[in-house]
This record gives sequence, structure tokens and C-alpha cells, in this order.
Amino acid sequence: MIIIEEKLVVSSSPHMRSVESIQSVMTDVLIALFPAALMAVLLFGYRALITMVISIITAMLIEAVWRRKRDLFSDGSAAVTGLLLALTLPAAVPWWLVVVGSASAIIIGKQVFGGIGYNIFNPALVGRAILVVSWGGHMAGDIWPSPQPFAFGIDVSTVTGATALAAPEIAMTFSFSELFIGNIPGSLGETSALALLIGGIWLVYKGHIDYRIPGGFIATVFVLGAAFGGGFYGNQLMTGLFHVVAGGVVIAAIYMATDFVTTPVTPLGRLIFGIGCGLITMLIRLWGTLPEGVTFAILIMNAATPIIDNFTIPRQFGGVNKSA
Amino acid sequence: MSMVFFKGGVHPEYQKEITSTLAIVKMPLPQKVVVPMQQHIGAPCELLADVDKIEKGTEVKVGQKLGDNKGFVSSPVHAPISGTVTDIGLYNHPLGMKINAVTIESDGRDEWDEAIKPAGDLDNLTVEDIRRIVREAGIVGLGGATFPAHVKLSPPQDKPIDIVIINGAECEPYLTADHRVMLEKTEEIVFGLKAMLKALGAGEGIIGVEDNKPDALRAMEQLVAEEDNIRVCSLPTKYPQGAEKMLIYVATGRTVPAGALPLEVGVVNHNVGTAVAISQAIREGKPLIERVLTVTGAGINKPANVQVRLGTLVTDVIDFCGGLKESTLKLIIGGPMMGLAQPDPDVPVIKGTSGILALTDEDVYLAESSPCIRCAKCVSSCPMNLMPTSIAQAAEHGDFTRAEKFYALDCFECGCCSYICPSKIPLVQWIRIAKAEIMKRKSK
Amino acid sequence: MNESNVYLQDLSRGIIKENPVFRLLLGMCPVLGVTAFLINGLGMGIAATAVLVASNVVISALKNFIPNQVRIPCFIVVIATFVTIIEMVLQAFQPVLYEALGVFVPLIVVNCVILGRAEAFASRKPLFRSLIDGIGVGIGFTLALGLLALVREVAGQGTIMGPDPDSAIHLFGAGFEPMGLFGQPAGAFIALGLLLGIVNVLFKRFKIQ
Repeated sequence: MIIIEEKLVVSSSPHMRSVESIQSVMTDVLIALFPAALMAVLLFGYRALITMVISIITAMLIEAVWRRKRDLFSDGSAAVTGLLLALTLPAAVPWWLVVVGSASAIIIGKQVFGGIGYNIFNPALVGRAILVVSWGGHMAGDIWPSPQPFAFGIDVSTVTGATALAAPEIAMTFSFSELFIGNIPGSLGETSALALLIGGIWLVYKGHIDYRIPGGFIATVFVLGAAFGGGFYGNQLMTGLFHVVAGGVVIAAIYMATDFVTTPVTPLGRLIFGIGCGLITMLIRLWGTLPEGVTFAILIMNAATPIIDNFTIPRQFGGVNKSA
Repeated sequence: MSMVFFKGGVHPEYQKEITSTLAIVKMPLPQKVVVPMQQHIGAPCELLADVDKIEKGTEVKVGQKLGDNKGFVSSPVHAPISGTVTDIGLYNHPLGMKINAVTIESDGRDEWDEAIKPAGDLDNLTVEDIRRIVREAGIVGLGGATFPAHVKLSPPQDKPIDIVIINGAECEPYLTADHRVMLEKTEEIVFGLKAMLKALGAGEGIIGVEDNKPDALRAMEQLVAEEDNIRVCSLPTKYPQGAEKMLIYVATGRTVPAGALPLEVGVVNHNVGTAVAISQAIREGKPLIERVLTVTGAGINKPANVQVRLGTLVTDVIDFCGGLKESTLKLIIGGPMMGLAQPDPDVPVIKGTSGILALTDEDVYLAESSPCIRCAKCVSSCPMNLMPTSIAQAAEHGDFTRAEKFYALDCFECGCCSYICPSKIPLVQWIRIAKAEIMKRKSK
Repeated sequence: MNESNVYLQDLSRGIIKENPVFRLLLGMCPVLGVTAFLINGLGMGIAATAVLVASNVVISALKNFIPNQVRIPCFIVVIATFVTIIEMVLQAFQPVLYEALGVFVPLIVVNCVILGRAEAFASRKPLFRSLIDGIGVGIGFTLALGLLALVREVAGQGTIMGPDPDSAIHLFGAGFEPMGLFGQPAGAFIALGLLLGIVNVLFKRFKIQ
């Protein structure tokens, strides 16, 4: 005999769903950021750890309160925003600055637009931009602590200087391998291109980011750096590489410019987005007044996302362009 | 192994091991069958009430024609069992509506109509003969689309066909009916393919099989080793490999233009089940009165590949397979990606029924969807290169002009986008709404 | 409806239901431009109110003599007259405020709140009601500017009654590092946006239509 309990569920096909959810994707992003976070602690000691913890917890708390949900981790996007913001900060910022930045990222960057999926600008970068504009004295200039590798207990804020991008004479004091591994002054997460690339490869492998955005971004920075970058390490190619690894380009290209919500969805649009980010970054670096421009480059391109999407709708399979 | 890959696609859990090793079992004759008058795409059949006196109380024999339509794009239906017509009227149809159907009560004797006899040797048949036999046998595409087979065998004069593809991809998860047919009826498939090649005057036959069925690939390859004009193409396993346009692209490298039929590029493709049916119609004179389907899913007590008479009620088929488990939450006719969820198992098996799938509370996704995070996984998974999220968003806002701008009409509802969506948005459902609305406006 | 009720409505409409800043989003230029400090915001509000009341009264009095076809130029002439007067008064008696407000004082001429009230109210309604309306809208405008300027000054400078160091009151002590964003034009947009959001929520909560 057939036993039919109550009613059968009827819904539109497909009847199978992948196990992937927003939460699992965000968890993967957190995993991808782990090498960079670890590197930050190794280089900058306990100050780095405190900054990251404060930022993540503030972001999650504000999000939970705003959404009136008891679930602190929830979909995980707040934790990602919090960690990303922390990784863009100098190692020795005061705690209240982290709190304000993280809260602004969640409230002004995301929730006022309607929460996840609706924000126009990358929340972490909104938080960072607000901090830069508000407390320039803590966020820019000769305030960058020098890393003290494997010295967890040392307060790195005692010895500070400028970043490699600030001036050629500073840049040349670092060897190229130091730049690549991250043993240079800079924000927590941006210095180690190595750790960031490891996470980036993992994200590409998981299919969460499209190689076009970081590819276009980094390639543009490299080409413009090589062409107009001034002289670093003797030749043009090394100058291009210097511009890729010296500042925030790697973290921005892999983790910020690939933020789902605020970037185009079309393949061509993503390439354009990446190239645009690289272009604006280099404009600011080479001819602007700021030493570093990735934050504003991405925010500006975020604003252009809808229009890029609209002009890059791909032809359907078998569409006239392809078959012709 | 084809070196060409189609863009997009997904890799769901195939779950084929449940039934892939189980030989096809013949289900005993059912007590009662219900034969809907429409089991194909095209004009519905009209009951043969005038000449053949099909009405309440008529005694019918197996293979006797019950309904037909003079239209070209149509296909007749036949009595799948011998017995008495007990009812003629509206009955549940797997497509979710009620359709005119003939109910036959079995007399248990399974007497065949005298008119059924082999058509003779393939060499002696003309092209017209083959088309007529296929039409009269009521053969339609058995992969699920149920497009009348004889129409595909009658291309317009100005569109010569040079390749016939037999679709053995069976990319839908869970389903293994085609797999078993390829193993057990290999010879009939090849014969059916030869008949099609002859009817179309095509030079090349390709049998496309996904590489997750190595035994079927081997069996096919052994059989066609001698044939010069038939080759077996191993297809990479990826859903929806069995979709017409993807299959043609991978097997031949040809791109079917958007909105056009495969015959535009000189290709016709048929399901393996269709090839078997054509073979049986020519060699035995047998009309399409039975098919092989997979009864599977965690909700089925004894999953199996069953050969059943058309019109058998799904309740009877499930009974034969040990009944449903109590945890069954969803009953699907077809595969899990494109099949139709049924509110009631009291529906007949029709020509296009490739499987009966019972999902339990563990496999059924019921939670609400979250906002779109624009991850674009749907865009990269779409085999048609569409932007599902944008179409769905336009449909949600009621802006169907915009949905059309995103080529909503080119969607064939494979379900990759809904499957992959981390926000669990029912994208296909929105696109269906958009398509229906666009078509409605166009017809005005 | 009795008479005093009408006047009361005329007065309150401009303050709450049709607050020019929070509900109608009119006159955004000075709203964003001069609200870095509370004093500037209030000064601007009061200057605009003075012009608004005076022009409302004059235009209402002259409404039967103004030809319909050239009414806008006529309104502008009236408004510009009062703006010039206010400008001179400010320059004479409040030179610091005058400096701070800068170009925004002459720009009152084209402030759409004032022109809007002239066109929508004063040119149709009796003199006394126009007077009341001008006062109401002026108060609403001043309050909105004051509120925004208060938020921006406290957050952006950590003071109230700045920028003059003699009058400025530091709220949070010497160690406080103000959030410079709110002192800048970009911060004005964000602060205004947040205030608008809060006002909308309040209106919804108290079901004010």
C-alpha cells in the first residue's frame, strides 16, 4: 500500500540544490583570508590580533543588532567585512578607531542600503574611506609600524615610518623578496603578497572569484607601473612588479575588487572592472596626491558597476555574433 | 572522448549508482491503464469514435489505435493492454492539468491487434515507408520532450541533414533507464539509428554517451566497430550534457543558432529510447505502448529500472517497486533537474515519463531564499550564456521588456542556475514567468 | 474650521508635515554647505527665515498687482531686495557669521524654499496667513539646519558653538579626536542621509502623513 502522508510538496524544478549557501561561501572567504591574517600576527604581533578581533566582533555585533537576530555569525558576511577592514588598517591604530570603522562599514556601507545584496559600495572599503577621511593622522603618513617578525609580545607601534609607496628613497631600502613576503611597513594584511596569493588561489579553485577581476587589476597595475612607474630595482619589469606587491593592490584585487555584491556579473564586465580599478589606482599613485589609491579606485568602480553590467550583456549561446 | 566542452553546466550528485546496475524488469500487466489523448508536443489526438467506435464498453486489443490527429505535428496513441474501455473523460496528467483520457480495464489476456506485423527488411523500405511506420507507431522523443519523431525524420527540402545523433548522455541525476537500455538493447538502438540515417539520407551517425557510463560506451563501441558511418562519442560528464544544443556542440562542434532547431546545422538527434522504439516498430510492427523508466530516490523502497505499459498509473508502478517510504516529501515525474513535482501520484505513465523519483525530507530543500548577492555563479553556470539573475530580477519587478533584453526566451530551463545559487533563489521559476509573459505579449 | 485652527495649521505644517529639508528636500545647497557648525547653521536658518517672512508678506500684499505672466521675476525682485538687506545687516553686525556663510547668503535669492512658498502660498493666500506660513516654514528650515549642524559639529569637531575659540565648548575633553568626515562636505551628505532615514522611520512609527 502506498502511504501518502498529508500532502506532497510541489515546487518548480530543479528539485536538487547545491549544498553551497551564502554562509558556506563567506566561510570559504574567511578561510582564504586566514594566511594573510596569520601573516599579520606573525609580522605585527599582538596589536594585529587585537585589531582584527575588535573589528570582526564589532561588525558581527552591529549586524546582529541591526537585523535583530540572535545569530552572531549568521551568513558570515559581517565577519568577512570586519576582517577585511582590519587587514586594511595600520597595525597600531587605537581601538576606538577600529570600532568606528567597523560600525561605519556595516551601517553606512551595507545596512542602510538594505543589507546584504543591496549595497552599492564595498562595505569594508567604505569603512576604510571614512577612517581615512576622518582621522588622516592615524591612517596615513609616517605612522606605519615596522614589522617585528615572530615577536608576538612586542608593541610594534613604537617604531614607525612611511610605506614603500610613499617615496622612492624609502622603497629602495627593502629588498624585493621582503616586499613579496611582506616584511615591510604597511597595513596588516596588505604587506604579504605571498599569503594573499595562497588565499586567492584557493578562492579561484573553489569557484568563488573570477580570475578576470584580479587578473585585469594586477595586469593593468603592472603594465602602467612598468611604463610610467619611475625607476625601482633597475629595470622597467621590476618597477611594474614593485607596484603590484608594494602596496594594497594584491589584497584589493583578490579580496576587495571581487566582492560579489558590488562588482559586475558579466565576464566581460568583470574584466573591464578589474582594468578600471588598476587604471584609477595608478592614476592616483603616479599623478595624484595620495601615495596609495586602491581604496578609492575600487569605490569609484563600484559606482560604475551597474552601467558596466548594462553594456556587457553577453550574447546567448548561438547568438548572431557567435555563429557569424 | 570529445575534446570540446560546452560553457557552464554543473556537477550535481548523480546518485545513479542506486539503479545503474539493476537490469530492466518487466512489470506485470496492470489491472487498469489510463491513456491521455495528448502525450506529445503538437495537436492533441481526437478519439477515434466514428469509424473505430472507441467508446465506453468497447473491447480493445493491444496496439489498437485509440486516438489520432490529422495534423502533421501530432502523434497517435494506442491501447497498451487488451480489455474494455470503462471510461472516457478528464484525468490527471503529469503536466499538472486534466486532459481527456481513455481508461481501459484489463482482461488479462494481452491479446494483440491482428494488424500488427513486421514491416520487413530495412533495405526494402522506402524513406516514405519509414516515416509512415514511425508516425503510425506513435513514436515521440522519449527523452522527455515528446516531440513527434516522424517530424524530425521529415526535414524540409532545403535543409539537408548529414548527421544523426543518438542521445545517450542521460545527464539528469538519478535516472538510469537510458543507461540500461543502452546495455540491454544495444543492437536495437543501432538498428533504429540505421533506419533514421536511411530516412534522412544522412551520412554519419553518432551515438553520444556520457563517460560516467563506461560499460554502455564499451557495449556500443563493440557493436558499431564494424560500421563505417557510425561512431560512438564519449561525452564529458556534466549536466546538461544531454540538452540538444549542448550535445550537438560537443559531438559535432556545430552551434545551433539561438531560437532555431538543430536541423539548421544539418543535425537531428534522437533519444536512445526513441531509436529502440523505431527499431521495434519496423521489425515487429509494434507501436509505442511501453517504455523503460527508472523508479528511484530515497523514498522508494525497492528502486528499479522498470519496463511498463504506457498508461499504467504511477501508484501501481510505485507499488510494484515496494511502495513509498513515509518520509517521502516530493514525488517527481522525470529527473530531479527538469522533472515535474506531482501533487498526487494518481497519474498515468506517458510516453515522455523517463523516471519516477521520490525524494525524502532529507533531499528536499524547503527553506526561504535570501537576497541575491550577485555572485554570478548562475551566469557562469548557464550553458546558454544567459544572465539568470538579471532575468529573474526583471521578472520580479514585472519588467518583462527588460527580461527579454536578457534573452529570457533562450532559456531551456535546465535548472543549473537554481541549482548553483547560494542564495537559493528560484531563478528558473522567475524565468518561466518571464517567458510565459513575453510569449503572451508576443501573441497579442 | 475655526480661524485660529487654520493659523495653527499654517504654522505647524512648515515645521513638521512639510518640513522643507526633511520632507520636501528643498534648499539643499545651504543645508549641505553651511552646517559644519551649529552657529552657522542657525544663522543661515534665521537669515533665510527673515527673507522668507518678509517676502511672503510683501508678495501676498502685492498679489493682485502682479501680472501672472511675469510673476516669477517679480518674486525674485522682492526676494533679492530682502536678501540684499539681510546681507548688509549681517555684514554690519555679524561680520564673523557673514564671513562663514560666504556665498550662501546671496544664494538665498534662488533658494527654492522661499521661491516655492511665494509661488505656492503667498501669491494665493491672504496676507496674515502668508505671514504665519513664512514663520512656520522658516522655523522648520532653521530647526532642520540646526539639527544637522549640531550632529555635524559634535561628531566632526567635538564642540558646540564653534568655530570661534572663545565661544566653542569642548564636549569631550582634550583627548577627543573628532571624526573629521562630518566636518567635510562628504560628511554632510552622509549625515543628512542618516537623519532623513531616522525622520522617515519616525514618521512611519507615528503615522504622520
